[in-house]
Amino acid sequence: MRPPVLRVGALRNSMKEILEQAEQEALQALASAKDQPAVEGLRTRFLGRKGLVTQCLRQIPSVPPEQRPAMGRLANEVKQRLDQAFQAVLSHLEAHRRPAGALDVTLAGRSFARGRLHPITQTTKRVCEIFLRLGFQTVEGPNVELDYYNFEALNIPKDHPARDMQDTFYVSDDVVLRTHTSPMQIRVMEKQPPPVRIIAPGKVYRCDSDVTHTPMFHQLEGLMVGDNISFGDLKGILTVFVHQMFDPETSLRFRPSFFPFTEPSAEVDIRCVMCRGRGCRVCSNTGWLEVLGAGMVHPAVFEMVHYDTDRYTGFAFGMGIERIAMLKYGIDDIRKFYENDIRFLEQF
Amino acid sequence: MPMKASLSWLREYVDIDAGAQILADALTMVGLEVETMVDRYAYLVDVVVGRIVDVTSHPEGPGLSVCKVDTGKEMRSIVCGATNVRKGHFVPVALPGAHLPTDQKIAVGRIRGEVSEGMLCSEAELALGTEGGGVLLLPETARPGDTLATVLGLSDPVIECGITPNRSDCLSIIGIAREVAAIFKKPLTYPDVRLPEGKEPIDTVASVTVDAPDHCPRYVARVLSDVRIGPSPFWMQDRLRSVGLRPINNVVDVTNFVMMEVGQPLHAFDFDHLAENRIVVRTAGTGQVFTTLDGAQRELPADALMICDGKRPVALAGIMGGLDSEIEEGTKRVLIESAYFNPITIRRTAKRLGLSTESSHRFERGVDPAGTVRAADRAAQLMVELAGGSLAAGVIDAHPKPTPKQVIDLSVRRTNRLLGTSLGQAQIASHLRSVELSVEVLDEDRLTVTPPGFRVDLRRPEDLMEEVARLNGYDQIPTTLPVSQVVAFKEEKGLEVRDRLREILVGCGFSETISYSFIGRNHCDMLLLADDDVRRRMLPILNPLTEDQDMMRTSLLPGLLTTMLKNSTQRNENLRVFEIGKVFYESGRGPLPDEVEMVSGLWTGARRERAWHSKEYEVDFYDIKGVVETLCAGLGVSPVRFSAAEEREIPHLRPGRAADVFVGKSRLGSVGQVAPQVLENYDLKRSAYCFDVNFDILVGLMKTEKMARPIPRFPSTTRDLALILEDAVETQSILDFFGRQDQPLIEKVEVFDVYTGAPVPTGKKSVALRLTYQSFERSLTDSEVNEIQASLTDKTLKQFDAQLPVK
Repeated sequence: MRPPVLRVGALRNSMKEILEQAEQEALQALASAKDQPAVEGLRTRFLGRKGLVTQCLRQIPSVPPEQRPAMGRLANEVKQRLDQAFQAVLSHLEAHRRPAGALDVTLAGRSFARGRLHPITQTTKRVCEIFLRLGFQTVEGPNVELDYYNFEALNIPKDHPARDMQDTFYVSDDVVLRTHTSPMQIRVMEKQPPPVRIIAPGKVYRCDSDVTHTPMFHQLEGLMVGDNISFGDLKGILTVFVHQMFDPETSLRFRPSFFPFTEPSAEVDIRCVMCRGRGCRVCSNTGWLEVLGAGMVHPAVFEMVHYDTDRYTGFAFGMGIERIAMLKYGIDDIRKFYENDIRFLEQF
Repeated sequence: MPMKASLSWLREYVDIDAGAQILADALTMVGLEVETMVDRYAYLVDVVVGRIVDVTSHPEGPGLSVCKVDTGKEMRSIVCGATNVRKGHFVPVALPGAHLPTDQKIAVGRIRGEVSEGMLCSEAELALGTEGGGVLLLPETARPGDTLATVLGLSDPVIECGITPNRSDCLSIIGIAREVAAIFKKPLTYPDVRLPEGKEPIDTVASVTVDAPDHCPRYVARVLSDVRIGPSPFWMQDRLRSVGLRPINNVVDVTNFVMMEVGQPLHAFDFDHLAENRIVVRTAGTGQVFTTLDGAQRELPADALMICDGKRPVALAGIMGGLDSEIEEGTKRVLIESAYFNPITIRRTAKRLGLSTESSHRFERGVDPAGTVRAADRAAQLMVELAGGSLAAGVIDAHPKPTPKQVIDLSVRRTNRLLGTSLGQAQIASHLRSVELSVEVLDEDRLTVTPPGFRVDLRRPEDLMEEVARLNGYDQIPTTLPVSQVVAFKEEKGLEVRDRLREILVGCGFSETISYSFIGRNHCDMLLLADDDVRRRMLPILNPLTEDQDMMRTSLLPGLLTTMLKNSTQRNENLRVFEIGKVFYESGRGPLPDEVEMVSGLWTGARRERAWHSKEYEVDFYDIKGVVETLCAGLGVSPVRFSAAEEREIPHLRPGRAADVFVGKSRLGSVGQVAPQVLENYDLKRSAYCFDVNFDILVGLMKTEKMARPIPRFPSTTRDLALILEDAVETQSILDFFGRQDQPLIEKVEVFDVYTGAPVPTGKKSVALRLTYQSFERSLTDSEVNEIQASLTDKTLKQFDAQLPVK
């Protein structure tokens, strides 16, 4: 780059202007200088032998004497300031020099394929872990179940209107796809005397299909039987569960309901986790979400498994895993769980 | 079927001063979950007061006038046909957008050329009365623009309660009012029933014979003569409409009204249509057809309970009346039926016929056998009031099977033990009495409780404990944690294995899917299963939702292949998915099928997607085999062997790319490439690999205990051996051969290269092996290792008819 030529005629009038302009120009150019050669080029251009500032210094003698000291000072100051500026940039560049063979560390790394657990599995595990910490044992049982375990032993005889509460898939007159995980209460109590403290997660089936129902879904059943187990204890255990599953501030509401195999029975609502009770679409503006069914084990059920109803009491509860998962993950259509779209599954 | 109740109707029986929302919340908290609450007059939202400022007659429409109406915000021009419109009148104006109960939707339009921006309404058009002749005139104190509901003070919230199957007593307004009275500690006022009975004794007019006392424990009848059938008065129609019933005529309306009021379904027969003036209650018998009053001909189950006259059936007991004995315009004499039918009888028939009515809904759940006479009386009283006529003296009460009174002993101590409360005896007694249970104190602990007839759900002490709990408030029960014995238990092995298995597969890049347990029967063909394949022993569902969900699955593969299809149509071409779940085989042994848990996986598309550092590689057989090896190794299942499957042995896999997986003698499952025909059957284009492993066997084989082995202190040394041998020789057989050599210094043998093509002759391959020698006692010398290696090389060449490569 050729250094600019200083025209002396112009200089007389405004050496000051020229110096100020030169300084500004130099600093601007320096700000966009990317590497050492660029900075050196600028230094030559402004401070080199034929540089603008050098030329000004050389012209000092031809400045009128009364201006000479001031002009000389100014020219030296500009030279000094620019010198410092160039030096600062050079040392910065030196400090941030790219080592030989440097890699582009911003390129994506070689990724490892990572699979995901189904959100239903993840939710079930979280629920189970909470109850495991409370001393509940996990048990599993058949999906295809005898009418006896699914209904009769749970105090739901044939021709009982409570059968309407559940649309049942039949395999034969006496065999159904279990409509709830409650048959596990009977299967466990038939085999073991109290105390009992179990949870039974698993698939259940009902002939129903829409935005809020799939013909197969997951439930988790809980059962605790022993001496002096009370409704207050049921409230306590479920409160611990809700507080650990959602958050410790979540309030619960127990209200009377009906299940043939519990008495008293309760529905358990929690404060809407979406709107915190202000009312929204998810809770149908009630501020509450129904998440659990529960109650004290009906004496008729104890009689079925030959437990001493005078001595033992117990509670049972059940929840829909999908319901919990939908609330936890903000999923609005239950069918998404079974479409197995990888773009859905990979979100969890 | 939810139960509706308007606040105004409830107020007939209990003096409620609480607001509707408070009432709704309180009902929910005693177990009558209020599902919705809507003001009955919500439809009046777009009806406002208008002042008529000018009336001119319609230039084109004789009898019509064009009114200028001040509706507060603006002046509207409205065409009206009523003759009572005068300047200065205040009238209701339905604004455009209003939707009236007569199903009129109001919009701006032109009537014979004149713009009409709304409608001036009559009482009938607003469903506020029966007067339809002229526009409803409002008091002049009203202000134009005010809503009509405000001016007339119209507000009547209707709550809709979900009634659980045990609470049939709440399928009535009085039932709900009783709960309200108990909650707010107010008295419940029953309607005053006074009967203007005539002289003629009913026994001389009619008779009732119950031939099926088990099905019909009680049948009560009353007879009215000289009734005049006509529309009910407005108050009656209004009450019925408020709970969603359609008014029909005065007599029928009364039966519906009383059913809603007290919960006892009634039926009114045209008495002159009852042959021999008598009622016979019996079962239908085989092959009967009956026309119900909805006009449908129904084939009756043999055990259906029928109400008959002297000759033929006239009603399907408790469900629906017959067409032939319906109350009509000309009906003169009426027989009122108020019966108690066996809930199971009614439910069976209703279910069988797929017919559910307000009546059957109540009978199925149990009505009050003791309330039948009272309900008949109430109906008779209202019919006389509404339809005139005279009432025969007395009531026929056929009561062949009285319901025994329930007497329940309740212990205060046990109540508190079950609930976790410390309620006093007096408190408990008072809660029970508040819902009309009669309570006697036996001693300081025990109460003797007799529930009223309408509480069919109260049979055991626990039922009473629930009454106490809910009336005292579930929220009043202290929240505690159980004090209980510690029980040590061991988690079932399967649970632990399943968790580990999931983690291993996720680590291999596989995502978990869940498919329905039911599939269509065509999947067996789609998987090319042989006729005698065990997976054809599918368990059918008798009432499937759809045809493609009519069988319990016998394999997880259809789910995975369907998942692949669904994803490929979404352009998700690269897929690594697995499922762990049960399959079901008809066992032929007991009523229940064999449930076997399987784990299956499918891999299609890229092993590694194209990236800046790598080409895209398509997944192949050894990828999927590696997954199976990894999962076995991860679970400590060994030794695993893969053996080439016979041509048609694993029908869903491509011949030559299919292997059986064995652990010892147990066959764990299969692995390989999905057969092209199977892909085609599932409409899939891209090749796919899958494994299918029996989880239950895997669990049985898993080693949970691990023992540490010493690590050798001396260095190992390796020797390579390259063999040219027949292409068909399986490398496994070479490894097995080395295994059989009983050479303790050989630590391991690995295949590190396989090569075909020049210079290896056609039909042959080159296999390169690396042998690792190791001693735990000393460092091995070159010469001793060389000696073993040389001898092994010789033996190997002979065994496999192999050559060493030409150097």
